[in-house]
Amino acid sequence: MISQRDAFFKRVYELAKENRNIIVISADMGTSALEPFKRDLPGQFIDAGIAEQNAINVAAGLAIEGKKVFVFAIAPFITMRCYEQIRTSICMMNLPVTIVGVGAGVSYDEAGPTHWAVEDLSVMRCLPNMVVLNASQSLDAAMFAEFSSEAQFPVYVRFDRKILPEPELRHKRPDESLTANPEEADLLIITTGNMFQRAVEVAEELKAGVIEIFEFPIVKPTIVDEIEGKKQIVTLEEHTLPGGLGSAVLEVLSDNNIQIPVKRIGMDISKGYCYQYGREAIQKHYGLDKDSIIKAIKGRINHEKPDEPAHAKWL
Amino acid sequence: MKAKAKELRKTVLEMCIKAGTGHVTSCFSCIEILVALYYGGVLRHDPKNPKWKDRDRFLLSKGQASPLLYAILADRGFFPKEDLSTFCQPDGKFGVHLQNDVPGVECTFGSLGNGLGIAAGMALAAKKNRQNHMVYVLLGDAECYEGAIWEAAMFASHNRLNNLVAIIDRNHLGVTDWTESMLALEPLEEKWTSFGWAAGNTAGHNETILGVFRELKYRRNNIPTVIIANTTKGGGLPSMSNDPKWHGIAPAGEDAERARKELL
Repeated sequence: MISQRDAFFKRVYELAKENRNIIVISADMGTSALEPFKRDLPGQFIDAGIAEQNAINVAAGLAIEGKKVFVFAIAPFITMRCYEQIRTSICMMNLPVTIVGVGAGVSYDEAGPTHWAVEDLSVMRCLPNMVVLNASQSLDAAMFAEFSSEAQFPVYVRFDRKILPEPELRHKRPDESLTANPEEADLLIITTGNMFQRAVEVAEELKAGVIEIFEFPIVKPTIVDEIEGKKQIVTLEEHTLPGGLGSAVLEVLSDNNIQIPVKRIGMDISKGYCYQYGREAIQKHYGLDKDSIIKAIKGRINHEKPDEPAHAKWL
Repeated sequence: MKAKAKELRKTVLEMCIKAGTGHVTSCFSCIEILVALYYGGVLRHDPKNPKWKDRDRFLLSKGQASPLLYAILADRGFFPKEDLSTFCQPDGKFGVHLQNDVPGVECTFGSLGNGLGIAAGMALAAKKNRQNHMVYVLLGDAECYEGAIWEAAMFASHNRLNNLVAIIDRNHLGVTDWTESMLALEPLEEKWTSFGWAAGNTAGHNETILGVFRELKYRRNNIPTVIIANTTKGGGLPSMSNDPKWHGIAPAGEDAERARKELL
């Protein structure tokens, strides 16, 4: 088994050997995946130190001059610390820079909420020109390397820090979402990233279909074709609810005038940040463990009154 | 140089009066700097081929001085001078801040603090491509409050980007106040020296600045250079200079007439 990060950089390294214009900028990331660049391609590797704003601006300058740049750091820092630079220096000029963030969701579990990336999907997918790729397995990662090395626009690639189980399901085609969507299922779970495996477990119990979204903006046929005839949609993500996958799905449904009830399951911001350690404990805190998810879905199907959000008591 | 600076002052003033907006005083403090670069034989450029690969790059990081750069680019022949009258007009070609879809403009600027890092990236690309052109970037002095400037300063000296020249338009004013009473920038030259740059001060409103640019050719060091050009915000326009109330404002009515007379 290989991590998404390692699979990605292994492929980028192969591509960089053929293309001297590929440059990797690291913001002081210590990983063996970068060693081959330092060893064999030192002219194509730059360490910017822990200075994400400058890493992005330097990437923009290199890209203006025709370089294909990958900027790599921990996901919350390489998105939100330098968000303004990404917006102004990269997206406004539509430069082909790929931002690579490791640590999707709460995968830096023991590091604490400073290191989580649970808002990045919202803030990155709303940027004009930006394409966000969110991996659920290392197979995706190698494909993402090829996609982003050819992209003529900004890309944000979002990886889990952990080595995730490889689901038995595979992409039908490289550009197609993972899917297990039996036609007879009334319930469809739409998920992204590490929650794909959890969605499959839940779907087995509830006899539901699953589709995985890895590209934002969501390519319309990816879900529009799959949701036909469904009675209930559930979105599942290890990310805060405002602006995340659930919002993205609702946008597609709204834009296409599709009226199917949607239950969003993700991190409720009324629960704040937390200092629990271990991914399972954190997931449980936010109701993202298998039992809580099943309970939430059954509650929706049975028309139970939703739990009042914690902030309701302030009102 | 004097005559060209005067002509450009008039052009910029009229652009901004017509638009009813624009950063007149921010433009006037750096006019001689840009005149030296574009008319003094410093910046290699080809108006007929704005993307000429061996051109020297010029980045106007203080993007609020866009009307000045537009006026110069039009005067050099990058695009028709008539376009200048569309500055900040409905369906016009330019807004207040610098946009990279204008021929001769390298980069969009408006958000401060990003120019030096982008310039460092461009200078690094030139090194990697074994190209000999220079990268010049003009920073506002109050822009140096941005942390990204100092991240880039560290990066540029570490990577020995001796093809990078930063010019600081040291007019001593931010939007609302004098820099030294708002948040002291001094000792500014020592800050840059300690970040590994070759740093120096010069007068910014006469031919001295051109001499400084010309001398750069004879440098033999392997570190980037910063030139702190001492200027006056609104320089050349006594009624609007050294007064924060004129930041980002175009004169109108009697003020406009007075400004026009001062430029005669």
